[in-house]
Amino acid sequence: MSENQKSYTRFSLAQRIEHIVLIASFTTLAVTGLVQKFAQSSISISVIAALGGIEMTRIIHRTASIVFLLQAIYHLVAIGYKLYVQRKEASMLPGFKDLQDAFQHFLYNLGLRKERPKMDRYNFVEKAEYWAMVWGLVLMALTGFMMWNPIATARVLPGQAIPAAKVAHGAEAILAVLAIFIWHFYHVHLRTFNKSMFTGKLTRHEMEEEHALELEKIEKGLLPPPPSPEELRRRKRIYYPVAAVLSLVLLFFVYRFVTFEETAITTISPVSARADSVFVPQTPTPLPTRPPTATPAPTQEGQLFEGPLSWNNAIGQIIAQRCGSCHGAMGGLALTTYQSALNGGRSGAAIVAGDVEQSLLVTVVRDGIHPGKFEPQELELIVRWIEEGAPE
Amino acid sequence: MPDRYRIPPELFIVAFGFILLAVCLVVGIAFRNEALPVRAETLPVDMAQLPNNAACLSCHMVEDQIKEFPNGDVISVVIAPEMYGLSAHATLSCQVCHTNISGYPHPENLAQSSREYTLQFQNTCNQCHPSQASELMDSVHTRLMAEGNLDAPICADCHNPHQQPKIAKDEQGRLSPAEHAQSAMVCGQCHSTIYDEYARSVHGSGVLEDKNPDVPSCIDCHGVHNVSGPSGGAAFRLSSPKICADCHTNEQIMSKYGLSTQVLQTYVADFHGTTVTLFEKLDPDQQINMPVCYDCHGVHDIRRSDDPEKGLQVKQNLLAACQKCHPDATENFPDAWLSHYIPDRNRYPLVYWVNEFYKYFIPTVLGGMGLFVVSDIYRRWVLDRRRKNAKSVEGAEDQMSATEETSKDIETEEQAEQADTQFSDEKPQDEENS
Repeated sequence: MSENQKSYTRFSLAQRIEHIVLIASFTTLAVTGLVQKFAQSSISISVIAALGGIEMTRIIHRTASIVFLLQAIYHLVAIGYKLYVQRKEASMLPGFKDLQDAFQHFLYNLGLRKERPKMDRYNFVEKAEYWAMVWGLVLMALTGFMMWNPIATARVLPGQAIPAAKVAHGAEAILAVLAIFIWHFYHVHLRTFNKSMFTGKLTRHEMEEEHALELEKIEKGLLPPPPSPEELRRRKRIYYPVAAVLSLVLLFFVYRFVTFEETAITTISPVSARADSVFVPQTPTPLPTRPPTATPAPTQEGQLFEGPLSWNNAIGQIIAQRCGSCHGAMGGLALTTYQSALNGGRSGAAIVAGDVEQSLLVTVVRDGIHPGKFEPQELELIVRWIEEGAPE
Repeated sequence: MPDRYRIPPELFIVAFGFILLAVCLVVGIAFRNEALPVRAETLPVDMAQLPNNAACLSCHMVEDQIKEFPNGDVISVVIAPEMYGLSAHATLSCQVCHTNISGYPHPENLAQSSREYTLQFQNTCNQCHPSQASELMDSVHTRLMAEGNLDAPICADCHNPHQQPKIAKDEQGRLSPAEHAQSAMVCGQCHSTIYDEYARSVHGSGVLEDKNPDVPSCIDCHGVHNVSGPSGGAAFRLSSPKICADCHTNEQIMSKYGLSTQVLQTYVADFHGTTVTLFEKLDPDQQINMPVCYDCHGVHDIRRSDDPEKGLQVKQNLLAACQKCHPDATENFPDAWLSHYIPDRNRYPLVYWVNEFYKYFIPTVLGGMGLFVVSDIYRRWVLDRRRKNAKSVEGAEDQMSATEETSKDIETEEQAEQADTQFSDEKPQDEENS
């Protein structure tokens, strides 16, 4: 029993911190990325709104991608340290045994084998996940770069490589997220809650089930002994400068990744309204030009003016011609017959025999506020007619 | 009960997360304004009380009468009876609108210019057309007028009240082709440069020359009485793709001209369209520099997409459109935009094949994983349990765990040995490799 409660150190503190950073950046990338891929769904819109809009969502996505890349660089340097300085076994490298283990484990699951295969420090489940992650990182970084720097990309590659990169980036994201749900969550959370990534330890029982071969090695003392302190120091002296240069080069790549080009058009102001005025009236149609006024018929006047002036001789005709179109009734004034003319209208008498100044027919027209007018000669005749007593 | 059968704590966290997500789901509801009929709703005066129009016309039908204003403007004050008789207002007494004139001489008018005179009638139409008047209150024209721009139009500038006939519409309320074309000409009175551009465009020639009611006139995009200024706010710009999409996603109309109805869908799927749509939904007044339809296709001067001068099917024209915002763009760059096509074997094959690859790759990988997981569940929840039950029946008095451990050991001794020998061949190799 006490043997069963014994625990085995699996992950160092640095590895556990690395994993937490990975959870944070991966989750952020997944959330901010998937809402962009499915931008029209109402869930995405709510998430984007909660994050502060699409521009902010993109900034968060890109920031998380930088964290992801920086972590990848750290991971590379850390692996280098373990392999070169500490001379640890490259236990994550996949081999034929992993295929065999997977197959045998499958048979065991179906009840076709009695015992599950014995597996080493990293079993096929973990290797599959790790290498899928590495593959994903490389592909996402490449396609991400293309979308981040489309103009530079189009200088080298055909333009359609950019939408193709977008398709791959999105599809790979779906694959990665679903793989995490199906593979990772099942194996370390649902099947059993494997706390080693947080506590750093595995129990003996868990070791037996998942890493029987490693357990055997530990118990039989088959693991290579740690190198001597002198040896360690010597290797560190070589490794540190190499790692420093390598990480600087990689950091420079990340820097270029971010700053390669400014596709966000900071220099061009938003396309807005036209610069010229929208109000440009057409040249107005000119008023119908006044047709030349018909010359009044002086001959007629000459002909008509024979004998004494009277309504029936000339005056009635002039009034019918000049006033008739309106003053059939307008203003209560009907200038149609001698009698109705003498009756006057609403404003008073139009014709007062013998008194020109009391006759509105003259004053209204003469003083210029009336739309219709007499010719001066006509007015003269009318004045004379009234002065003579306005006979019929 | 062993540890592994207990419900893991993060199931609760996941469940909580889903509940939180569900709570976060807020769906906005768009309100719509009902269209109002253009018809006089009330007549505020008793026509029987007003003088007959014959009285007015007896003077005003006489040709060649003008009114002069102190600033030198001259207007015609002639009303042609036959024109007025055909207008929508034919049955109205002149005094319904010209309320201050009841006889002759007319009261003195203090207007200094013909424009001032027209503006005296600014509120005249409200009395019979209150809904149009209230729509107008929201318009850029009324806003400009309120800001002191006297050029801004009032009702009478677009609808000559003495001549405006009843507007001909079909059962669906669509303008007759002639009215539709006429409406563009009305706008053209004040927006003549835009009108000239429009008249040469694919839309303008369709409306003005072919009298085709499928093609948009000014009012189809800008609205009529509540016309909003495109230059005014970002909101018009951000929502403009919807205006274009209104017709361009209508299969019934587009099929007549062999045009694609995927234009909106493909635009929205792209970076520019996604951004614009999201801004439109979340921040509609934000001025952004992502292109909407008309930034690439043109607005009033829009041409056929195969127009040699401006059509975007011509690669040089498309590149020029890209370069408006991406000045460094080179020859390959326009292909980054799929030109409203859905990629297939012939068009944008690279995109098509990447898509195809993932269509099979994702289910293959996930299916493989799923298969293994299902087999593992089967092992743990069916086989292991069945065996455990069998054992517990056999040796009921023994402690469960002890029984399991020992029986397993005995049962699998042989196999384990076999496996050991099998693996021992490879183990050293692995170490050498590493």
